[in-house]
Amino acid sequence: MSDPLTADVLRNALVVAAEEASIVVVRSAYSTFIVEGSDASAALLDAEGRLIAQSMATTLMNSMALKVALPELVADVPLDAMRPGEVYVLNDAYRGGVHTNDLLVYRPVFVGGRPAYFTATMIHVSDLGGLSAGGMAPLATDIFLEGLQLPPIRLATSAGIEPAVEAILRANSRTPDKVMGDVRALIAGTAVAAARLAALVEEYGAAGLAEGVEAYLDYTEARTRAALAELPAGRFAASYPIDDDGIDLATPRHVRVALTLPGPDAARTGAVADFAGTDPQVPAAINASASQSLAAAVFAVRCFLDPAIPMNDGCLRAIDVRLPAGSLLDARSPHPCGGRYVPIYAAMEAVFQALSDAVPERAIAASGILQPFSIAAVGAPYWIHLAYDFGGVGARRGLDGPDATGVHFGIGRNSVPQAEPVESRCPLLVESVETIPDSGGPGRYRGGLGSRTVYRFLADCHVTTRGDRLRLAPPGRDGGLPGRLGGFYRRRQDGTLERLASKVNNVRFAAGEAFVVETTGGGGIGSPLERNLAEVEEDLRAGRVTSRGATEDYGVRVGADGTLSRDASRGRPGRS
Amino acid sequence: MGFAIGVDVGGTFTDVVLRRPSGAVTVAKCLSTHDDPIAGIVTGVTRVLSGLDPALVTRVVHATTLATNAVLERRGVRVAFVTTRGFRAVVPLGRYARVEEDRYDLRFTPPPPPVDAGDCFEVSERISARGEVLTPLDEDSARRAAAEIARRGIRSAAVCLLHSYADPAHERRVAAILREHVPDVVASSEIWPEIREYERATTTIMSAYVGPLMASYLSRLEDALAALGVRAPVHVMESGGGVMSARLAARRAVATIESGPAAGVLAAAATGLGDVISFDMGGTTAKACVVRGGRPEITHEFHVGGKGSFGGRRAGTGVPIKTPAIDLAEVGAGGGSVAWIDAAGALRVGPRSAGSSPGPACYGLGGGEPTVTDANLVLGYLAAASIPLSPSLAGKALDRLAEPLGVSRAEAAHAVHTIVSAAMASAVHVVTVQRGIDPRGFALVAFGGAGPAHAARVAERFGIGLVVVPEHCGVASAAGLLTGELSADRVLSRLGAGDPEAVLAGLASAAAADLGVSPDDPRVRVERSVDARFAGQSHDLTVAWEPSRDRLESRFFARYAQVYGIEQRGEVELVGYRVRVTLAAPPGPSPGEPPPGAAPAGALSGPSAGTAPGTRPAYFPELGGYAETPVRTRATLGAALDGPAIVEDAESTIVVPPGWTARPGPGRAVHLTRTPSGKAPRDV
Repeated sequence: MSDPLTADVLRNALVVAAEEASIVVVRSAYSTFIVEGSDASAALLDAEGRLIAQSMATTLMNSMALKVALPELVADVPLDAMRPGEVYVLNDAYRGGVHTNDLLVYRPVFVGGRPAYFTATMIHVSDLGGLSAGGMAPLATDIFLEGLQLPPIRLATSAGIEPAVEAILRANSRTPDKVMGDVRALIAGTAVAAARLAALVEEYGAAGLAEGVEAYLDYTEARTRAALAELPAGRFAASYPIDDDGIDLATPRHVRVALTLPGPDAARTGAVADFAGTDPQVPAAINASASQSLAAAVFAVRCFLDPAIPMNDGCLRAIDVRLPAGSLLDARSPHPCGGRYVPIYAAMEAVFQALSDAVPERAIAASGILQPFSIAAVGAPYWIHLAYDFGGVGARRGLDGPDATGVHFGIGRNSVPQAEPVESRCPLLVESVETIPDSGGPGRYRGGLGSRTVYRFLADCHVTTRGDRLRLAPPGRDGGLPGRLGGFYRRRQDGTLERLASKVNNVRFAAGEAFVVETTGGGGIGSPLERNLAEVEEDLRAGRVTSRGATEDYGVRVGADGTLSRDASRGRPGRS
Repeated sequence: MGFAIGVDVGGTFTDVVLRRPSGAVTVAKCLSTHDDPIAGIVTGVTRVLSGLDPALVTRVVHATTLATNAVLERRGVRVAFVTTRGFRAVVPLGRYARVEEDRYDLRFTPPPPPVDAGDCFEVSERISARGEVLTPLDEDSARRAAAEIARRGIRSAAVCLLHSYADPAHERRVAAILREHVPDVVASSEIWPEIREYERATTTIMSAYVGPLMASYLSRLEDALAALGVRAPVHVMESGGGVMSARLAARRAVATIESGPAAGVLAAAATGLGDVISFDMGGTTAKACVVRGGRPEITHEFHVGGKGSFGGRRAGTGVPIKTPAIDLAEVGAGGGSVAWIDAAGALRVGPRSAGSSPGPACYGLGGGEPTVTDANLVLGYLAAASIPLSPSLAGKALDRLAEPLGVSRAEAAHAVHTIVSAAMASAVHVVTVQRGIDPRGFALVAFGGAGPAHAARVAERFGIGLVVVPEHCGVASAAGLLTGELSADRVLSRLGAGDPEAVLAGLASAAAADLGVSPDDPRVRVERSVDARFAGQSHDLTVAWEPSRDRLESRFFARYAQVYGIEQRGEVELVGYRVRVTLAAPPGPSPGEPPPGAAPAGALSGPSAGTAPGTRPAYFPELGGYAETPVRTRATLGAALDGPAIVEDAESTIVVPPGWTARPGPGRAVHLTRTPSGKAPRDV
């Protein structure tokens, strides 16, 4: 194997190993998220905790968790104490984990009698206790209300799952059989990837593989630095608000970042994302574990680099993320971390806005956020529908924002459940799935539309929500206007609507009532009065904009014969 | 038994194969005519028929890329989509995945929907998941939609109402109302009544999109053949490897999307070896498929126009089509793939291809970028193809890689060869190891222009010890067409069906009716299978039907363990029912028997028997570089030829690396076997 001539072959093989693990997990798991279409995460790491490769569908949130938590596992269980066939698990949010429902599963891969690599898998499992079925506890005030915590422990040996661990998991789950099905899937995924990795050790030799991995990380670092060098040097600061913490509804919280870009100096210094000034942690579920904040910062920076750069530790070496201890972005026990996506989305948005200032030709306005919710039986036997809808993406300089897609670590709409399977599984009817006209922030480039989905219940149930950007709309840029605010609603039997708070826990709905999920539209870029008539006309035809919206937002009158004309005096003034 | 003609229209060539009652085969290869493929077909058919009475032809089987190209190039007819009130936005919103570099692309824009958002219509009605009517159909709402569709001049419509797989009554009624105003109407319950509204809708929309084109194309083709005197019925290869009547193909046009690749796999299956991996490598892509016990593996969902991802088409990146298709993995690498050096100095190959214009540098048509073909020429594996090749242009192109990498021209060329063989291997990997199948013990059947040059190297990666290069490996798909049997598939999603036997019997009757026969006809073979899953999971596995519940469940457990490596037990539920009805094809010559004298009818250039040079230098790293290597043809192969060696064929070149031996096989195939002392398996 003459490096670097055929290094690509090894690099693909590493990603394929992770890819196979995630296929096995996704197809054999029981978790509602997975059943409805979400993907599983899988990664390869080395014994030092460096991320080598991850499957295509693995979000950075999960691969960063797997990376940050591995040294914690090794701290508790020394490498020398590990045996072939063993599998380990943890979910500790203060040691790299995410929240209690996300299980991180590791299998050591032995080279010369000692663990040299780890294969790891991770999903949001069916249920591990906590305030509401399925793992959302938006009003938790400490982590003990979020479910069962697992420090790094041995989950299985070559003889099978540890009976004591299985008994504990079962005793703490509303859906014991499903959670064990998920655990078996996670273990099987690590086994598949470990077999592939062992074959690579065989093929390349221990030293050959280690050199190949080292070269892969170096290569990724070089590409990351080369891409960073193309961004302008300087310090760019931004902040982004969180609506509220779900308990104190009057106080927005803030994430602040100062991003320092090295310019041509990138080969030596890298980028620094310093979140000093971010608000302190709160006794409410809007804190994040450090691994999740790291993921948000790295993801946001990567969105302004060459998108084809591989994702592994080499990329991380060029981006220094600094998180203030005890802040919303690096919470300490017992501050709950289950709602971590709320602060890390704020972190991601703050970095996007800082980079949009740095590189205006690639600017993006703020987006609607994804809006998770769960619908569950009020008692045993439990059925759970756990899902999210996406908000509209902010306008990009030169491009409208996609509808109801979110930015969300690059996940597509294929993770949004379909009506037919949900209706076959749960006592509810999906009445409609629509885009909301006029919900995209008006601008020269329009924000993406939000969506509205209506669930009518055929049995009493509990609804739990974890929303944000439902009070403070995602702003536009350069004169573009904010996106329309979404919300969660109860539609009573008489048809009246009651707006729910953005974060509610186990709100009881009666059969016949409906739950309405409206997502927030993305912000616009540039004055809407400068949007081309042809684009307004196309939006009218496709139903994205109403004729009233055309007039009030874009200053465009629709004549009786359907022709459009500009009447700027009617439009809303753009703000900058 | 009469004369049979197979016609495979590909991107570059139209291949026509005529099989005589004796089993003798005549082939013609002519350039495809893109504006109207029928012209190329007529040329090829005329050529293979030379001197024969066209009336003797009793069967014409056609593989067409019409549907594929219409979808990929968005050349189908304008379609109106009609669905249940409240769901008009579902198809325009889409269900795409973001993979690979899309993940980090803030400027990502979702793929355009298969139907214009403004051409989606709603009707008032609602049926539950269990088939109960919750809201009766408001026929006026359907009439209003029909009138508006007609007013816009839209002539094709697709109807997909929620839960129509559970009860198609509303959908059928809406289709009937639409047909009063719109010439072509497709209902989802007629096309593929399976749960999940998005994929059922896209399958239906794609049928409406390409169906009218297919109907008119096939009727013109039948007319053109009739003008030549060929009045045999035209059958069309479908993606699952069966053959449909032209009438059914027009109604189920989406079922022909993988028509050509399916035919190639059938050719591999026709080697009679039982367990084979079909490996087809052309100019821009390579495809692999597993055939077990002579039968290709079938998948029930594929994505057309999707992005490749490490050997598999990534779900969610194209338009999902839910009809059975031969389970192919495809990688975007072939002879024309361009090798390049990325920003950080790593050598990469593809996915960009030099295509036929400008083509590889060695074609001398103005291309300067190094391609896989250029590398193979520099390595001495190739000498000439159907056009003369320039080694000096290939060498210059390879130097564009060698200089920045700081290696020799030959080392750079060999690295390109290795990277491409690994890409090919990833396609094989997807259909074997990733599906829980151990590829050792399979034979690799190599065809396509570039396949035989890489096959042994791909086989080595999996510990495969036998490579088969069939005769006519350059027109394998057209030959494969003649082995297809007339068949029809039917499916139904049904949760908690009381009597599975009754559901399957109903599907068998419907499928037999598609073929115009009775299910009790002695020529009819009915294959029944069910989709089963553990209660609470969403992914199901298809297993052959077995009336005993215990035995059916054991079959499911065994399959589950094979696919996922988990010995799971638990409650099993049946969620879908599948039937394939096949009408036995007229018997052909047995596959092992060599057909007497096959004569190429076309003007194919290239080395002919006996004229290959005796030796030339070729590069093998095992031998430390270039070594004088024997060059033979199929005719001069002898009883056994040890590698390193090269066997030049009319349409492609077989590379026999050191450690391999080439021998003549049955049916004028060439068999490469690994010498027992060869290298140990490396990659399984």
